[in-house]
Amino acid sequence: MSLLAAIRPDDWNIALFVHILGAMMLVGSLVLVATALAARDLRLGFRSLLLGVIPGWIVMRGAAEWIAEKERVNDIDPTPAWVDIGYSVGDPMLLFIIIATVCAGLAARRQSTGPLRTTALVLVGILLVASVVAVWAMSTKPT
Amino acid sequence: MYDWLLFFHLLAAFMLAVTVVIYSAVAIGVTAPGRTLFVADRCWDVGGVGTLILGIWLALHLDEYGFFDGWILGAIALWFVATGLGQTIQRRMAAGETAAGATMHWLRTLVIIGLLVLMIWKPGA
Repeated sequence: MSLLAAIRPDDWNIALFVHILGAMMLVGSLVLVATALAARDLRLGFRSLLLGVIPGWIVMRGAAEWIAEKERVNDIDPTPAWVDIGYSVGDPMLLFIIIATVCAGLAARRQSTGPLRTTALVLVGILLVASVVAVWAMSTKPT
Repeated sequence: MYDWLLFFHLLAAFMLAVTVVIYSAVAIGVTAPGRTLFVADRCWDVGGVGTLILGIWLALHLDEYGFFDGWILGAIALWFVATGLGQTIQRRMAAGETAAGATMHWLRTLVIIGLLVLMIWKPGA
């Protein structure tokens, strides 16, 4: 599988490029949110979730579907484990992102550094760990 | 072995992306906390060293690629350009020259995107 990845057809490249670009935007924005919330800059944390994390997730997830369609990985029976891991990590991320955004937004509005900020920070931490797991699955492609 | 090298190489590349995203926020006028810029700068340092060392290791490890392949030499050249720009940006930002730092940051962003293009398309491989 690794060798296949190294010699993939050229027409898969654009989808892979957009997928990785979206994932990089997602992870970079998550770190920005985490450091901003940790430094009690609630407005920056909220805006980074809204303008960086959510668009990054949409681009990453949309391009994931695009490349999955090109590679026809969903037609393989049984579905490779790394694809399952990708879906089971990537899809729930949206729910965590929405909850974190709502918490950070409310915290920024109320200028509250209490439980709302902590909840958003914990969720962003979980999202970062999930991102590392997804990168691991996509690069090592466990079967 | 290849899989783990690729994993850590990608992780290092994501650290570079963290720096690019945080400095992009600064370049469009966000006042980032000192701690945020500290994290961005350390990610740049670790990610830079990690991508270079692990990237060369990967190239030597795989029979399909050679160290003197055009796309690998191109990537190393772009890496040096990005590193030079990164150090200058850190100096300029620390000296309060935000406008000059922002211009160099956008240049660095283009170089990093160029590196990603080379890594994916591997022209000549």
